[in-house]
Amino acid sequence: MSDDVVDVLIIGAGASGAAVAWSLAETKMRILCLEQGGWMNPSEYASTKRDWEILQNTDFAISPNFRDRAADYPINDDESPIAVANFNAVGGSTILYSAHFPRMHPSDFRVNSLDGVADDWPIDYPTLEPFFAENDRNIGVSGLAGDPAYPYHEPPLPPVPLGLSGETMARGFNKMGWHWWPSDTAIITKPYEGREQCANLGPCNAGCAQGAKSSADITYWPMALRQGVELRTDCRVREVTVDENDMATGAIYFDADGVEHHQRAEVVIMACNGVGTPRLLLNSMSSNFPNGLANRSGLVGKNLMFHPWGYVSGVFDQPLASHFGPQGSCMLSQEFYETDPNRDFVRGYNMQITRGAGPVATARNGMAQGKIPWGAGHHQAFETYYDRTIHMGLCCEDLPEEHNAVTLDPKLTDSNGIPAPKVTYTLSENSRKMLDHGLEKGSEVMKAAGAWDIQSHGPIRMAGWHLLGTARMGKDASHSVVNEWGRSHDVRNLFIVDGSVFVTSGAVNPTTTLQAVALYIADAMKRNLANLFD
Amino acid sequence: MSSDDIIGSDASLNAEQLRTFVTILDMIIPASDDGRFPSAADMDVLSYIVKTEPELLDTIRIELDRLNAVSKDLHGMVFGDADGIARQGLLDEVRGVEPQFLGGLALQTVTLYYQDDRVMEAIGLEARPPFPGGYEVVAGDLSLLDPVRARGQVYRDVES
Repeated sequence: MSDDVVDVLIIGAGASGAAVAWSLAETKMRILCLEQGGWMNPSEYASTKRDWEILQNTDFAISPNFRDRAADYPINDDESPIAVANFNAVGGSTILYSAHFPRMHPSDFRVNSLDGVADDWPIDYPTLEPFFAENDRNIGVSGLAGDPAYPYHEPPLPPVPLGLSGETMARGFNKMGWHWWPSDTAIITKPYEGREQCANLGPCNAGCAQGAKSSADITYWPMALRQGVELRTDCRVREVTVDENDMATGAIYFDADGVEHHQRAEVVIMACNGVGTPRLLLNSMSSNFPNGLANRSGLVGKNLMFHPWGYVSGVFDQPLASHFGPQGSCMLSQEFYETDPNRDFVRGYNMQITRGAGPVATARNGMAQGKIPWGAGHHQAFETYYDRTIHMGLCCEDLPEEHNAVTLDPKLTDSNGIPAPKVTYTLSENSRKMLDHGLEKGSEVMKAAGAWDIQSHGPIRMAGWHLLGTARMGKDASHSVVNEWGRSHDVRNLFIVDGSVFVTSGAVNPTTTLQAVALYIADAMKRNLANLFD
Repeated sequence: MSSDDIIGSDASLNAEQLRTFVTILDMIIPASDDGRFPSAADMDVLSYIVKTEPELLDTIRIELDRLNAVSKDLHGMVFGDADGIARQGLLDEVRGVEPQFLGGLALQTVTLYYQDDRVMEAIGLEARPPFPGGYEVVAGDLSLLDPVRARGQVYRDVES
């Protein structure tokens, strides 16, 4: 019954909400999660269909504006060179993520101390290390121990296959004398906890029909539900409510029929990602919080960080079977990850080697670029490119800037009439220089590996997967939204556990760090249960 | 309207339009000389467009008529009946004036073409979706990591 008071109300069933639900379940508190999407059916994922390459860009498109499923809300990203990517369902954006799972570095938590920019986090890598490891075990992470770019850690499962394309790039990196390593990946390479191992289907980014990709719907949620957590789907929250004492009292939400409910709760946890969480807080205005809930610092929605994304591709003479295997996960290089004073930018980037394009994408892209012609030369040109192309993504650290922000759009609303978010973002000079450096170095290593046709460009517009920093954590209430364990400075029974709390972004796909932070916050809540609101 | 005016269930092209449409498909992707690859003209591109991008149909009809009219003026016959050199010249002209028509048609054509069983088999794929069969991928030679290991730590130490 929605009028009951629950002990803990979690808003959002994605990567962080699921992890927190599982962690708190052992307290035997009554925990309810509201999720605006529903359960996905893996038998409907793109890889089960012959037209999987088309479905990747339609039904499973990464832009909610284009995809426009019932669970999606529109996002005005007209004033940003990077468009927002997400997915709204049980499991959240992990339904579409590549599951590339590198951790942030120890230095990422000390950016100000080391490089004099941005701010240090109030927590550090050693604090998070046990939660990284716990998360790896919980969901099943594959990788190879001993990466010299990280403090030693042992992924529970062996790495995903390099394939011929990975081997080819490995030789290129070795020729340059640069770091590379098989990627930590949230894809199981052996049967694990009742799930079948990866079958190298390819399009992980359109849902994993095999169930080998460790999305939150098939990892944390089954465990949390078994322990008694309640998950209510197709429920879109409009606002978090508060009383006159600045304590959250619950949330108002619309159910699947558009009927409004008020769910009361003793504790509210926000897990709606770096755009959804500030949107909801800004929509939760009251007399005590006229500028949005938990926003006395004025920083809710500010300091939005993406990872500006560059792209390099190389075409090789030999067949590489390059479009088989986990699409976004193969190997990485962190040669240019840490700050080097000899460069004209601070911080750095990660090079992520991904798999090649399938036949339809090869033909469409080749024709659009004028490389695969009409007529008699078509077949030969197609075979020149197909399965001989290797891709590289450049994930650049984005530093926080207050003018990069999520606000409420004055006109745009979702299907329930709730004001939609607007993203305003400018690429910094530091990011531009970093991208240029990455594009140049990416091209160099492609050449060293033997590529004869090399293309590079960035920033990529449709690459706003990583939504960070819009409710940052910190010890100073005037410069942060939540404290060092995720509790709002202004509302003592309101917690935020998603990427919003990131102080800086690192230069890696954030989900492993995001889930480790969520588990760390849940652990802090459990340890402080007796005086949680003090 | 005669029966010649209708093809497919929803898509209607008259006989002249159809003749020219099929000719263009064959110009986009002809059959390979060795017979491994079929021509795009052998595929039901029109039905595919009706299913996936129906708004393109009106443009196709208009541009096919325009192409045929120009061809009749210059060569005394519809585009589909003109010789190869004449057709290529006309198409190049249309490409310059109306790039969206041919660009859109070509995109839909290759999209359907590379999902066709015969084509998938010709490029070495089984004609099936990726799931459930999956694929084999070689593990790769991890001894290639020896120089990376030998170089040692590359991350910055940080005092906690």
